[in-house]
Amino acid sequence: MLTLLAKFFKALNSESGAWALAFAFVLGMVMGFTPLWRVHNLVILLIALLFRINLTGFILSFAVCSAVAYLLDPWFHQFGFYLLSHESWQPLWQSLYQSAFWRVMQFHHTITLGSLVLSIAFAPILLGLSFYVITQYRRRIQTWFNKLKIVQMLKANRFWAIYSDLRG
Amino acid sequence: MTQTTSKPQMRRSAIRWPGLAAFVVICALLAAFTWLLLDTILKWTFESSVGTLNGAEVNIESVEHSWSPLGVRITGVQVTDPTQPEQNRLVVGEITAQLNLEQLLLGRLHFDNVVSSDIRTFQPRQSPGEVYTAPTKEDAKAWAEQGLASLNLTMPNVDEIVSRLELKTPAAITQAKTTIENSKQELESIKANLPTRETLAEYEAQIKALSESKIETPQQLQQKREEFAALKEKFEADKAQVNAIKESTNETLAELKQAFEQVKAAPAADLERAQQLMQLNSEGLNEITAVLFGEQMRKWSEYMLLAYEQLAPMLARSADEKLVKPPRGEGIWFEFSQSQEPPSFLIKKAKTEFAWGETVLDVDWTNITYQHEQLGQPTTFVARASNSALWQLLNLNGELALTAAGIDAKQQWQVQGIKLDNLKLSEQSEFAATLLASLLDSEGSVTLQDSVFDGGGTVRLSDMKVEAKAENKWAAVIANALQQLSRLDINADVAGQLTQPTFSFSSDLDRQLGSALKSAALDASKTELAGLQTKLQEQSNGFLGDNQDALSAFEGLLSDAEQRDKKLQELLKAKFEGAIEDKLKDKLKGILGGN
Repeated sequence: MLTLLAKFFKALNSESGAWALAFAFVLGMVMGFTPLWRVHNLVILLIALLFRINLTGFILSFAVCSAVAYLLDPWFHQFGFYLLSHESWQPLWQSLYQSAFWRVMQFHHTITLGSLVLSIAFAPILLGLSFYVITQYRRRIQTWFNKLKIVQMLKANRFWAIYSDLRG
Repeated sequence: MTQTTSKPQMRRSAIRWPGLAAFVVICALLAAFTWLLLDTILKWTFESSVGTLNGAEVNIESVEHSWSPLGVRITGVQVTDPTQPEQNRLVVGEITAQLNLEQLLLGRLHFDNVVSSDIRTFQPRQSPGEVYTAPTKEDAKAWAEQGLASLNLTMPNVDEIVSRLELKTPAAITQAKTTIENSKQELESIKANLPTRETLAEYEAQIKALSESKIETPQQLQQKREEFAALKEKFEADKAQVNAIKESTNETLAELKQAFEQVKAAPAADLERAQQLMQLNSEGLNEITAVLFGEQMRKWSEYMLLAYEQLAPMLARSADEKLVKPPRGEGIWFEFSQSQEPPSFLIKKAKTEFAWGETVLDVDWTNITYQHEQLGQPTTFVARASNSALWQLLNLNGELALTAAGIDAKQQWQVQGIKLDNLKLSEQSEFAATLLASLLDSEGSVTLQDSVFDGGGTVRLSDMKVEAKAENKWAAVIANALQQLSRLDINADVAGQLTQPTFSFSSDLDRQLGSALKSAALDASKTELAGLQTKLQEQSNGFLGDNQDALSAFEGLLSDAEQRDKKLQELLKAKFEGAIEDKLKDKLKGILGGN
């Protein structure tokens, strides 16, 4: 099972450029913040799988942001409620509501709209920030990081061994 | 020398095609997962969404879907009552619904036909359901549950009554004593002015002397005449005095008699007033119908207003996003339908089968939606049943529509011959009452305008058999009166907001029980009242006995005055002058020659 999983990552995670990782974090963040069973998440998943995005970063980001989303849901709800009930936006919502496509997108759901709009608004910031952190990490911290005992222990793990073998 | 050749590194494509294959596989897995677990997903969805609308936990036993025709079959639905989480407001055995595929593709939930069977209301739950929104009418029934305690029945105390009474007997005695005291003084002065027997005898003697005296000359005649006139003048003066005394005595005697009569009558008057005051001090006696029948009537009302109390709030909540406070992490869906659009949610036809034991009542519904203005038609419901085990005739029809101002609705009902059987009216320790058997007829109408109730009806109970037990005397009176009831007409009125309707009940029972309780109070205080009566009678009789002499003295004085008046009258009527003149004439004839 571990071998299969490692092979999967080997096949898909052959690129690990800084941008690939940064985009992975952003896509994972959008998918993690918004409700899972939404059509736009299928689109995000398709992008993450089809393009050379770092899947480990994507999954990690998705898991962390899903946990954080539980705390942020009340704010997403309030923001979505504000947008959907705002008078000046009513014509837009009414016209979107006539479209089956947008209905399927469930834009009229408070948390969906609120979380999607906020996470898209935050996406450029996270993208830039992630790129900067990754490049700085690789330049200055990676060597020091690899020497840490905990990292050594993790590298002694069987999964890491399989993964390293596959990397060749 | 070795030469190494390096292969130019090729720039890889931005697209990784195996990823697309992985996406397809994941989608396929999701589809399969959804397909396999669709019923469970639907179950969770229904429980969650209906629970949010209901404001409390909703449990569903199972959900089965079918693709052709597109529909669902839901079994074992339990809808918790938010006001009483240990009870279900509705339990539905089975619901089958066919969904309109065309409307579903357009994002609308249109059910062509929904059949709900084995519906029971107000059933106990195995464990209390979770309440999502705080109940707003938790104290609506509190008044009915207070029971007899709210009547504040207290037994009056005889001493307290006597102190409040301001007894007339002692007052009458005091008044009579004052009258007697005054009359005694008057009696003395009157007696002093009354001509004595001796005076009258002297008058008689003087008249006799005048009439028998010798008159020989006209001068003597003239002298006698003058003496007689003077005497007559004296008689008249005395007679006037006697008349005045008679008049004064009569007045005083009348006053005395009146005072004595008042003393004589006072004990009876006091007793009557004591009896009047000797009734139960019950502030809430006029609510006895509500106390005894209120809770049961309220339950019946809930059946009658089921459509409003159950369905309308749920429709109203679903129509207004702000009313629904979503559970954490769920959010809410907004509606942006336009007025000419078909409603987003519509059940065109529904049939609900309410069950009471073996009896089933079919209610046919049309156009169940919360967007009546878009649909242009109200939700209607009709229930008609006859000759069932529970009733002879039942007609119920009405309609309701959600408007911008609230809920507008109207409903009429007519039920005849509902057989009531072992209905608990009160189960308190001090008072337990059960309606063993009765026939119930009811009719009425209720309107709902902008979510405000107005209307009412009558409930007629006939052939009543009531069993009642009571621990204390006063509850026993009520129990006894109830057991004697064979017929009772109750007027029921409903008013107030949809979410907090207020019911008021009234009947002839209030007056009947008030009268019975008063009689019981008198009966219970019989001994004390008898004691009071004896005490007052003794006071009265004692006074009358002690002061009878005063009355007799005046009566004797009046008698004397009348006798003396009579005597004086006789003296005044005496023809003294004629007799003297005859004597003188005879004398003169003898002197002058005999003619």
